[in-house]
Amino acid sequence: MTNFSKKLLAATTLAAVALAGSAGLLAAQEKPVIATVVKISGIPWFDRMNTGIVAYQKANPDVVASQSGPATADSAQQLQIVNDLVAKGVNALAVVPMDPAVLEGTFQRAMDRGIVVVTHEADNQMNTNADVEAFDNADYGAALNERLAECMGKEGKWTTFVGSLGSRTHMQWVGAGEENAKKYSGMQLVDPNNESFDDANGTYEKAKEILRKHPDIKGFQTSAGNDVLGVGRAIDEAGLSGKVCLVGTGLPNPSADLLESGAITAIGFWDPQKAGMAMNAVAKMLLEKKQLTDGMDLGVEGYNKVSVKKGAGKGVLILGNGMVLADKATYKQHMF
Amino acid sequence: MRRTGGQLAMLVAINLFLLAVGALISGSFLSVFNLQSMASQVPEIGLLAIGVMLAMCAGNGGIDLSGIALANLSGVMSAVIVTSLFSSTESATAFSLAFILVALLVGLAGGLINGLLIARLNITPILCTLGTQMAFMGLAVVLSGGKAVTVGSPALLSSIGNDMIAEVPISFLIFVLVAALVAAAVKFTPYGLWLMLMGTNPKAAIYAGFPRNGVLIATYALSGTLSGLAGVIIAARNINVKFDYGSSYLLIAILIAVMAGVKPEGGYGRVICVVLSAIALQLMSSLLNFGGLSNFVRDFAWGLLLLTFLAVGRYDITGFIAPVRRPAIPSPPVPQASK
Repeated sequence: MTNFSKKLLAATTLAAVALAGSAGLLAAQEKPVIATVVKISGIPWFDRMNTGIVAYQKANPDVVASQSGPATADSAQQLQIVNDLVAKGVNALAVVPMDPAVLEGTFQRAMDRGIVVVTHEADNQMNTNADVEAFDNADYGAALNERLAECMGKEGKWTTFVGSLGSRTHMQWVGAGEENAKKYSGMQLVDPNNESFDDANGTYEKAKEILRKHPDIKGFQTSAGNDVLGVGRAIDEAGLSGKVCLVGTGLPNPSADLLESGAITAIGFWDPQKAGMAMNAVAKMLLEKKQLTDGMDLGVEGYNKVSVKKGAGKGVLILGNGMVLADKATYKQHMF
Repeated sequence: MRRTGGQLAMLVAINLFLLAVGALISGSFLSVFNLQSMASQVPEIGLLAIGVMLAMCAGNGGIDLSGIALANLSGVMSAVIVTSLFSSTESATAFSLAFILVALLVGLAGGLINGLLIARLNITPILCTLGTQMAFMGLAVVLSGGKAVTVGSPALLSSIGNDMIAEVPISFLIFVLVAALVAAAVKFTPYGLWLMLMGTNPKAAIYAGFPRNGVLIATYALSGTLSGLAGVIIAARNINVKFDYGSSYLLIAILIAVMAGVKPEGGYGRVICVVLSAIALQLMSSLLNFGGLSNFVRDFAWGLLLLTFLAVGRYDITGFIAPVRRPAIPSPPVPQASK
């Protein structure tokens, strides 16, 4: 019997070790809680967003703001986190949906319970109070493609990468890119919409395949945050830096080496830090029952004069002007 | 069977412990709403884990990797077919019933394909189900064009996903009911006996004249139908279905089965342990989310839990209940190759 209880004790202690840390974090909280949930935690993009949440918390001590996200890129895992936060009883959710469609049911239940829901990168979300976008997605996709076309000399084969076929913003960007490329008859799109799953290594392998299949390819337009790194590495290793153009969404710090070597032509981005702050600012305004008006100032750089439109569902769509395109010459102004 | 008692006691203890820790760190953890919220999250993964358990019990390296892909395919295919026949707002009941029926049939068909390939063509289960997993997922992509397909919330389906009977989520009741049915089938029918004995010793089973093919096909068909049911519950809860939903469930379902003491080499597994093990994982994951801890900690904790179970499983578990001194000789002498 003692043996059994010892074993049982050992097993439960192991579990307890994993849980010990949580006790301290759970002091009784009277202040409204705004929980930010990102697509996946531990990648540079959402680490940067976390700095925004931390900064927002510092500037607004009258709310409790924190960020969490799944360890794997799976919409079901994100769904569980949101479910648990709803059950825990947070006051507002600020979510960057992995897949807006999967979260509809949960958001509906959350809103029925009086929880404020704010989303980002999901302008088709039906069940949200407000969706915050850094810019108009079509404009962004077209701007990326215009930069690519300029580098390619407006002709040659090019291809596109998206995080996943279900990632709506990515599809909008490459869609707007394709639309833009139609202006130039010399540009020929080959094997479009490669899925990268935001994995630099997988993207690297895929880009190598494409370089082998189309030795004369001239351009890549990529979408997920890690795509430029994977494709850039493939271009760099093939000795094609400067010969093949690469324009895509990426962050300055991780892309710095490849920008310097010329493997990446230009990166486009919006600052996730500011987006996180903007989401929380909107959530707080909604908690305080303030009106969201066209042209209002969220108090965040790039969101000083936002346009407020009717959203896909009951909520509103808030568009900022936070687009940044940076190349070798200009990326140093935005080091993160 | 004494050893089953040990595993069961262990799982019950872990569940109680997790509930106690939850109550300790957050007052709202044991609130009715959170218990309901957790209960309604268990069925999807729990059903898949029961499918994995059945496949493992069949022995000969049995496993079902196609579970979540088939669940998604069931949801997607059913949504595509049924939305073209009925309107989810106008004929809500007909839509719901047809959706459930088609999803279960797709699940059954997928399971039959697995079973036929494994039983008739003698393909190793891990390779076969890996192949069908990709095929199912690919088919779902083609059918849906890679986008989410909207099922909507017609009355019946929506109540499966959202409503309660006596404060218990309907989806959880369905899960428990189905688990009980499978448990009864394994325990009281000749099928269950054949399944376990065949898993223990496939060769002896063949010589004893067991209907090997029949048992294998039935096992994978059952597992497929459970996936179809998981697809229905996913659709009912999320309003939309998508081909890549729950890509992490594949390994979690196996984790749950192994944690429940199902023998990967076949011949032993209990449904009640799988249910408890699924609940334990859910409690732990919700606990970490309540604590606001990184989800990487959750993976770590799950891994730790699994290793603990495997380590404990190495010992004779009956020894826990009534300590028996084991003989001093550690293992029988290994036969040496002779000239």
